[in-house]
Amino acid sequence: MTAIMPTTRLHLNKREITFLVPLYITGTVALISVLISLLFLRSGGVPGSADWIAGSQLNPGMAYALPGFLVYLGVQSVATTFPFALTLGSTRRSFVGGTLLWAVIASAYLTAIMTVLTLIELATDHWFSNFYIFDIAVLGAGDLTRLIPIVFLSTLSMLTIGGVFGASWIRFGGRGPQFIGVGLAIVIIVALIVILPAAPTIIAAFQVWWLAVLAAVVILLSSIGMWLILRTAIVR
Amino acid sequence: MTTAIDIRGVSRRFGRVTALDDVSIAMPEHSLVGLLGRNGAGKTTLMSIIAGQDRASEGRIAVLGHTPFEHGPTLRQIIYVRDNQRYPDDYRLHHVLRIAPAFAPNWDADVADELVDGLRIPAKTPLKKLSRGQLSSVAIVLGLASRAPVTLLDEPYLGLDVTARSLFHTILLREIAAQPRTIVLSTHLIEESASLLDRVVILDHGKVVVDDETEAARDSVVLLSGNTDAVDRVLSGRPVLESHTMGAMTSVTAAGAADDSLRALADELGVQVARATLQDLVSAHGAETPEPLELKKAIRV
Repeated sequence: MTAIMPTTRLHLNKREITFLVPLYITGTVALISVLISLLFLRSGGVPGSADWIAGSQLNPGMAYALPGFLVYLGVQSVATTFPFALTLGSTRRSFVGGTLLWAVIASAYLTAIMTVLTLIELATDHWFSNFYIFDIAVLGAGDLTRLIPIVFLSTLSMLTIGGVFGASWIRFGGRGPQFIGVGLAIVIIVALIVILPAAPTIIAAFQVWWLAVLAAVVILLSSIGMWLILRTAIVR
Repeated sequence: MTTAIDIRGVSRRFGRVTALDDVSIAMPEHSLVGLLGRNGAGKTTLMSIIAGQDRASEGRIAVLGHTPFEHGPTLRQIIYVRDNQRYPDDYRLHHVLRIAPAFAPNWDADVADELVDGLRIPAKTPLKKLSRGQLSSVAIVLGLASRAPVTLLDEPYLGLDVTARSLFHTILLREIAAQPRTIVLSTHLIEESASLLDRVVILDHGKVVVDDETEAARDSVVLLSGNTDAVDRVLSGRPVLESHTMGAMTSVTAAGAADDSLRALADELGVQVARATLQDLVSAHGAETPEPLELKKAIRV
């Protein structure tokens, strides 16, 4: 028996932060979206018109609100939980395995929530009032074949990115996250320098599935990074 | 007797700092071992290595026959709560009590409840807002209710009031009787725990200076007090671990047992001979190298 499942339970032990806080944030964004829709209504917008739909579907609220929390959740899942997991008798290997399993569960949970809310929104013709909260461009514009991979992969990406930052803090203290942050910035800037001349061609050929591949690469690299950093980490 | 914790030539270095220096100790199964020494002597580092939370730079360690680092079956047999234990954000007591049984196969909820009640640990206060004594109490709950075959208690008394310390002793002894286990206890409240300890290991500057059964360790030194010249004659060249001089009177803690010839000479010269307490022993081994008595006498003149 490994400590993978107990480690996953250790993360799920704080039920509110895994299961309820994302709902609080989603609810708050929904409320603000409704208020903004009412603002448009009062300023002369016509609910259901082409302009109304196009404008409403560009609402980026969800994309702005959740990532900060999800990255924090990923950071704390390692930075403050790793020492306690070792105290309870987990191996580093089991800790990383259990943490990734928890991240998959949390991502699947948020995906299920978003899917259900989107289905309700579509079934009620946008809450009987032409309010576009989940049927928005950034979530696939009501297309579940897009929404599900978008929410799942982006959530898992942010949790694992947070995890690797948390692991670097455990291993190297304050310099760890700084080192990774600066390293990432350099890689991104160098990549832009290399590909910028070909940007028009790349944009013309762009396919949405490229983002899924990019997210999968980020998840894979973050998970491997977390393991490599933690496998010899000590608690002091 | 089976060895539960076997440490052979273990050193641990952090950069230029040597926290443990060629440490070799064999801790028998089901013994209660006091890990003693000054702050920075290496106690916490040694416990971390035993618990697999750290790894030796050199040497070999076996806990219940296996190297603990990343060995899951062995780690499940060990509980080690650090004196500065970090808990996940926003943790409260119920979080600890809910998750600990998932890792500890021998978890005893009744013992946990008894300790929580007896130690009066607040249930609703976030752990990060608990007092030093209350955090020690949480560590005691984890340490004893886990019923782990190897239990490492790091400064369990820190901040505890006298009633809580008494309760801890009572339940510790009852628990050992109910389910024997190997316990390593580090503490600075030496006299309070002396009667509990089967063995003592004293570390100083990362080295083992004493590793023996408690009573034998106490007999490994002798306390002499009296006129400085007389004490010097009784010492007869024995190594002095610690000395205090006031006026013409000196008291020393010297290495070696108080044999018949020493007692006879001390009696003849009016020097008092006393058996060292465990605290005397630890204090003496932690003291910086004392000045030779001859030098002190010269300074006095």
